[in-house]
Amino acid sequence: MKKLIAALLITLPVFAAKPISIKGSDTMVIMNARLAETFMAKQPGTTIQVTGGGSGVGIAALINGTTDIAASSRPIKASETDKLKSRFATTGFSYPIARDGLSVYLNDRNPVRELTIAQLRDIYTGRITNWKQVGGNDATIILYSRENSSGTYQYFKDTVLMGRDYSPRAQTLQGTAGVVNAVAKDANGIGYGGAAYAKGIRFAAIKKDANSPAIMPSLETVRSGQYPISRFLYLYTRVRPSKEMKAFIDWATGPEGQQIVTKVGYFPVR
Amino acid sequence: MKLKSLLLSAVLLVSLPLVADEAKVITEKAIEAAAVQTPQEPQQQPETEPGSDEVQPGTATTPSADETNGRLDGFGEAITEVRNSLENLNRMRISGYIQPQYVHDERSRNELGGTSGTRNLDQFSVRRARVKFTYQFSPTSRFVLQPDVTSSGVTLKDGYVEFTEPWTAWKNTLTAGQFNWPFGFEIMYSSSAREMPERSRVIRTLFPGERDRGVMLSGLGFGERFRYQVAVVNGTGTSRADDVNKRKDVVGRVGYSLGAFDIGASLYRGADIVATSTVATGVEFDKQRQGIDFQWATPVPGLGVRGEYISGKQAPGANTTRTESFDVDGWYFYAIQNLGTRHQLVARIDEYDPNTDANNDAVRTIGGSYIFHWDANSKVMLAYEMPENEANDPDDNVFTLRYQYSF
Repeated sequence: MKKLIAALLITLPVFAAKPISIKGSDTMVIMNARLAETFMAKQPGTTIQVTGGGSGVGIAALINGTTDIAASSRPIKASETDKLKSRFATTGFSYPIARDGLSVYLNDRNPVRELTIAQLRDIYTGRITNWKQVGGNDATIILYSRENSSGTYQYFKDTVLMGRDYSPRAQTLQGTAGVVNAVAKDANGIGYGGAAYAKGIRFAAIKKDANSPAIMPSLETVRSGQYPISRFLYLYTRVRPSKEMKAFIDWATGPEGQQIVTKVGYFPVR
Repeated sequence: MKLKSLLLSAVLLVSLPLVADEAKVITEKAIEAAAVQTPQEPQQQPETEPGSDEVQPGTATTPSADETNGRLDGFGEAITEVRNSLENLNRMRISGYIQPQYVHDERSRNELGGTSGTRNLDQFSVRRARVKFTYQFSPTSRFVLQPDVTSSGVTLKDGYVEFTEPWTAWKNTLTAGQFNWPFGFEIMYSSSAREMPERSRVIRTLFPGERDRGVMLSGLGFGERFRYQVAVVNGTGTSRADDVNKRKDVVGRVGYSLGAFDIGASLYRGADIVATSTVATGVEFDKQRQGIDFQWATPVPGLGVRGEYISGKQAPGANTTRTESFDVDGWYFYAIQNLGTRHQLVARIDEYDPNTDANNDAVRTIGGSYIFHWDANSKVMLAYEMPENEANDPDDNVFTLRYQYSF
């Protein structure tokens, strides 16, 4: 009998459900962790492991088969789809899970309240270097940015900088939290990132152009598309999701999951 | 592991200024508090004899606020310097792979190297050992160097510099140096990713070495669905250090992706110089190739197929009596079935006809492989290929067992 129990104990892990791994966007890591925790509490048989690293890292892991789901704060690139096609004969499956208004952080002491997209572009490409050029104090603008493996970095570059290079003066920081901390400590600092991390600083209202109204990121403005810098946050799978993965994705994009999305500071997709 | 350590160090160093700022605030508060608590009358210090080097307790261990600030500023400057150095190091990326293998070839014979026939091919070898250095010296420009170190020696595979224009969504890129011929699919498909040990015979014959020296313009359009590449190259490949003719060759490809189905068309126009029986210094022969290729991620889960057809004109061998190039053609077709994330079954059939005007000279090869992806870095390939010559079919089947580690 003891032998039988021992054999069962050895064999049981083999039949235990394989954990679902989610890897990628640092912007999404808190949201994904909350979603996973809540889902696992509801489905005790399911294990979901969430790790960050950046959207590029998550998609690379999807391509080399080391994660089940990639979390990405940008759409997958054509070159990445090519690799997925070559390795797994699939173009992958994407699931928009939340909307994010990419916020521009300013220090509380900064008198500047609003910026146009063109001003932001000029600030981050180094054409505008002093706050007085955009109605602020006579002080050098200190730029804080993300590392280039980050989807946020890429999205800001594509959408705001229109593909242009960041100024070499931009200081690269790991994670959106790092950018927020830096701006909170620096009266002349400016940074960008998701709304979820925006504590201790305030947002700049963004104008599409000089004649447009200045819009603050909010549920209404992001969902309606009024806020000029908003994006979808995605989960990507290689193939059609397994039963467990599908259950999680369906739940995350459903009413309960979207409530958690809202709680952590993002905007629901529905 | 070293990369991980480097990254960890970088994270720590990047976060240090923040920690240093916190420390500075705490220290300043502590000094202020100490100043409040310190009695107004100066404490009597024990007398020290003039000229004595002895340091009295409590005199040298408590720095002033200015000293502390100065030290912290100095520390901050040092950290900034280290961070700048790390950022420069971060611009360098190193990747690579090694392919040790064992090959059993039916043509193998025991001999020391006679004047004719095939020597022993049954052997262990390092087929490829490549390290790729990429230095991104700005977001729009990078330098790439990729040597290949094998038991046969060291050769340069890639060596080029790239500039990408930042003004349009086309990402037009100018490449100068030594790079893959932009023709078809299999030439540009990395040997580390390919599902058979070697490229198809038509590619190996018409594009030996897969690379040449020159300049290339490439770009993406229509939501990155359209891709173009056009290059002006020497035309001699990389087997020679110099170009033997004044004329330069032009090669290019256009491709379009419909999502799961990609299609491309390629063209090569140039010339070869070959010594003939009458002109030892060489005569110019046409060198032409045109091809179409496709890659399809089929609706069958995990099944991908791809193929390519190439026709053209190929110069004859040295000391020829011919005055014109041969008309040649060839093709290949792959079917790749993924079984989960770790197993792949591959079938390939390819054919090359070195002279379409002559009969019984084509070679068709049927082959297959099984690939086990051990983890993200390593895989094992078992492959078997059976070439069939139209005229006579010698015993020349090849079995390959290959391990690959990449990083």
